[in-house]
Amino acid sequence: MTLYPRSVRVRMTLWFGATLALILLAFSVSIQMFVHARLMRQVNRQLARDLAVVTRVVRDDPDEISEVSELGIALAQVAEGDRTVYRTEDWRRADLDKALKRWGKDLKRDGKRKRSDPVWSWRSDGRSYRLTATTLATSGRDFRIAVAQDEKSVRQNLTTLALMFLIGFPLTLSLAAIGGYFLAGRLLRPVGAMASKAQEITAERLSERLPVASPNDEFGRLATVFNRTLERLENSFEQLRRFTADASHELRTPLTAIRSVGEVALQEPLDPAACRDVIGSMLEEADRLARLVDNLLVLTRADSGRVRPPRTPLDLAALVKDVADCLGVLAEEKKQALTVEIAEPLIVEADRETLRLALINILDNAIKYTPAEGHIRIVVKRRDGKAAVEITDDGPGIPVEHREKIFERFYRIEKARSGETGGTGLGLAIARWAVELNGGRIELESEEGRGSTFRIALPERQGGDVAQT
Amino acid sequence: MRILVVEDEAKVAKALKEGLEAEHYEVMVARTGEEGFFLANAQTFDLVVLDLMLPGRDGIEVLNTLRKQGLQTPVLILTARDTVEDRVVGLDSGADDYLVKPFAFPELVARIRALLRRGRSDQVLRLKLADLEMDLVTHTAMRGGQALALTAREFDLLEYLLRQQGHVVSREMLARDVWKETSRATPLDNVIDVHVARLRRKVDGPFDVKLLQTVRGVGFVLREGER
Repeated sequence: MTLYPRSVRVRMTLWFGATLALILLAFSVSIQMFVHARLMRQVNRQLARDLAVVTRVVRDDPDEISEVSELGIALAQVAEGDRTVYRTEDWRRADLDKALKRWGKDLKRDGKRKRSDPVWSWRSDGRSYRLTATTLATSGRDFRIAVAQDEKSVRQNLTTLALMFLIGFPLTLSLAAIGGYFLAGRLLRPVGAMASKAQEITAERLSERLPVASPNDEFGRLATVFNRTLERLENSFEQLRRFTADASHELRTPLTAIRSVGEVALQEPLDPAACRDVIGSMLEEADRLARLVDNLLVLTRADSGRVRPPRTPLDLAALVKDVADCLGVLAEEKKQALTVEIAEPLIVEADRETLRLALINILDNAIKYTPAEGHIRIVVKRRDGKAAVEITDDGPGIPVEHREKIFERFYRIEKARSGETGGTGLGLAIARWAVELNGGRIELESEEGRGSTFRIALPERQGGDVAQT
Repeated sequence: MRILVVEDEAKVAKALKEGLEAEHYEVMVARTGEEGFFLANAQTFDLVVLDLMLPGRDGIEVLNTLRKQGLQTPVLILTARDTVEDRVVGLDSGADDYLVKPFAFPELVARIRALLRRGRSDQVLRLKLADLEMDLVTHTAMRGGQALALTAREFDLLEYLLRQQGHVVSREMLARDVWKETSRATPLDNVIDVHVARLRRKVDGPFDVKLLQTVRGVGFVLREGER
């Protein structure tokens, strides 16, 4: 494959040239054939006319034939039997009698084949003639009349034409190839520009964009698509950067606590009870640290996209009841009323573990942020053709400006509240990932001062029975 | 009981040695895979605690070689990796149990006890601590002759604590063994605290001697007498 040109430009030019050559060849051959046929027809017509003229002259007066030459007929011969009665000077010079003789033999041989228009070509001394003949019976005598046409002019015309093609062909082709080469270069210039620009774009310089010369042609679209990809990449890089920064910050908080508690404790001697207290406090922070790392690991694995647990048919109502049962004690402690309403039995196709994690995180969140003696309602129902779980509380609600961001990692409405409630700030982010992993969506409706509704919508399983889990 | 600890991190190794010695085990520490392999071959141990990420010879490799040589000693691996594949590789290599770092020390002790007890009959039908008694057949719990009204979860919790009596139990152990929670990311700590608090009210509430104690920063323990 070393002969295969690597440049698209050269390839385009070659293809273009080859196509053009083929077209030109077909074109000139057909023109040549067409012109040839047309000229031959003209010659034949002239022969027929000449024959008619000579025939009339012979019929008028068989003894006064010499006027034929005055009629502008250069090649004619009249014979009576084997005797030549008349022949023009040119006929004699061209020695066309030989041609006639030869023709006579051929006619005898092919006698059975009736030729309505006996036209014949004769070639001699590098010249070619076209002949035709007829017989005429008049005044009791039998004449044979023959006329001929020199094919020289026809041949000349055709040769000239061929010559024209022969000269024009390479000229046109090379002109077209050069033009095509330049045109291809012009067309491909944006590609070169894009390539050199793309070369400059690195992880650190993702804000750069490719130049879009004309947004509507193919290259423009390519550049636009590429730019959109770059934008997404830039966004995810930015998210990653923020995530890393946030994670470091979050890790720093318990680390600081451990450190300062330890340092302060070491400043003066402590009795065993106080010592235990200090160590216990440090261990609590270590626990928080471990929890944070566990959550971060869940999300990191989620980001790698390798987590694809198999989905199995799942009784959504049973799962919701199980989760409500598990976390119910927390609501009880806060004297909150936690109710579960199953509007209809729904089977979804999901991974139990991750979906349960999502439900626990959302319900835990609801219990945490709903004040004591509040109400939390879980409803399982079909909504817009999807299996939905709605967790509604009558807590403080979530202000509009936070609603979009609440599912982002480490996002908290009140930064200061994190320590108090002990959350990692990752619960809802994990919940969203877990729901989306199972082909669902998570939505939030909220009214400030009236409460919030988190809705998990999952595709319902079509037909089939639920496997007992 | 002799335990071999193969762990390269000095602080962790020291903590393990001291902690296990406090539990009355005899502990040898190896700091590299080579040394661990040599010790396991040269001496007899009742159990090996093996860190997987070791300098020189990797823990899995050491374990593989030891098992090929026909070593029967139970092995508990410690690893910072906790994907399913990592666990499968560890267990396939002949490990008897694994523990993911960072682990709570009480959990390590509980696992070691379980491994050393393995093979012996575990069919305990009655559990007892001081005047607290549990009958697993009739599913009843009594303290000082009085029946305790426990929910199913509280019963399981009490049973677990009684089986581990005298030893501290971490929240993580409870989440996995009593709540059967597989993911460490599930926020169950508050739930566990509530259940323990309720159980304590029922078990200890009307009595002078408090059995169910909280060890701050670590977990809970059922034992006689305040320490």
